[in-house]
Amino acid sequence: MQLKSRHYDAPDISEAMELCYAKGWTDGLPVVPPTAERIAAMLKAAELEPDTQIAFIENRQVSVTAEKVAINSVLAGCKPEYMPVVVAAIEAIADPLYGYHGPATSTGGSAVFMVVNGPIARELDMNCGDNLFGPGWRANATIGRAVRLVMRNTIGTLPGVLDRSSLGHPGKYTFCIAENETDSPWPPLHVERGFKREQNAVTVMAALGVHQFSNGLSSTPEGVLATACAQMRISAGTARQPQYALVFAGEHMAIMTKAGWTRDDVARFCLEHTQISLAELKRIKLKDGEADAEDETHMMSLVQTPQDFLVIAAGGRAGVQSAYIPGWGGKAGSQSVTKEIRQR
Amino acid sequence: MTVQIFDPTPEPKKDRHIAYAPRPISLAGLRIGLVDNSKFNSDQLLLRIAGLLERDYGAKTHIMRRKRSAGVPPSQEIVDEFKASCDVVVAGVGD
Repeated sequence: MQLKSRHYDAPDISEAMELCYAKGWTDGLPVVPPTAERIAAMLKAAELEPDTQIAFIENRQVSVTAEKVAINSVLAGCKPEYMPVVVAAIEAIADPLYGYHGPATSTGGSAVFMVVNGPIARELDMNCGDNLFGPGWRANATIGRAVRLVMRNTIGTLPGVLDRSSLGHPGKYTFCIAENETDSPWPPLHVERGFKREQNAVTVMAALGVHQFSNGLSSTPEGVLATACAQMRISAGTARQPQYALVFAGEHMAIMTKAGWTRDDVARFCLEHTQISLAELKRIKLKDGEADAEDETHMMSLVQTPQDFLVIAAGGRAGVQSAYIPGWGGKAGSQSVTKEIRQR
Repeated sequence: MTVQIFDPTPEPKKDRHIAYAPRPISLAGLRIGLVDNSKFNSDQLLLRIAGLLERDYGAKTHIMRRKRSAGVPPSQEIVDEFKASCDVVVAGVGD
């Protein structure tokens, strides 16, 4: 297998890791030195030729080849069998609907939130349960990290240069989960978005941080969602109607299952109960101007449609926590995208 | 034992050229296009710039069109209108 990338020699593995730091190829954490053998294993696992173009980032005029995705996946610590997931995620962030340039470069500071569905999530031992957004699972940690390293190293989205995020958030290291399809009250997310249950898929969304909410008092969906909506309503962000992810963990999942609530029921309830008046948005200075009497009854929606809530089942079985994750900016600038994970 | 590592950054492009549009020698009598990036007050800033270009540099007229989001390029419709109706265009990204 002929690799085209420039290469450098280091006297040993330790020095090779230091060379990666010196070259500016890391996110601050140590990386695995990308040797020809490791890169070839990645490409073989995905059955891709090195010069196959995975994505073309229009704004940067950058072609992302399979070879570059493989090198970054090695750096991130991926096993070769993770490579098809990384490839699909890169295809997704290059989709015009995702609008790479906005969320990647904005002062608004989004990360690439990824949800993996299908049998591959179990095969790769991806976490969909306890400590969902925390550390501990190699596949979650390194697949998300590989996508970030492609953005950094190949597309050139360097913090402080093209990534001008004022604050960023920890999801910019890695932000990848699987859905708990076994205990979910609903069909898998990718089925909701047009794929077959036996297909593998990854959904990406340009996302701000994870907001946990607790509700241990309610045994009904209305009660749980009342808490969620109260918190989302005042999280209106820039009042520009992004998409929102709603992640329901075990006990709240069970409540939805018992009540027989569909995804659509959840989304419609949330759309209705997160309305906020234009007057309030003006008072909290998310909309320009002074509030008048008419503004008090002019209601604004948090998102444009019920489908703009991505309802996801994942998280630990115990506990009364779930979470919402605001999307970046507005839907006009970026939308979630689902791509099939192809195991060739 | 020597370890050979491969570079994750793009390979240098030797034959990359950007075809810049020819620059006018003077703005006198020219029509200005303004790309509003949709951020708060961007329209006010651009209108002040247009005022200066008309007052101090003799530009003739201006039109302003708004992008649907700061993070995306202007629509083809806006590009076509600027091509048909403007001689120079002011565009920029910022908060």
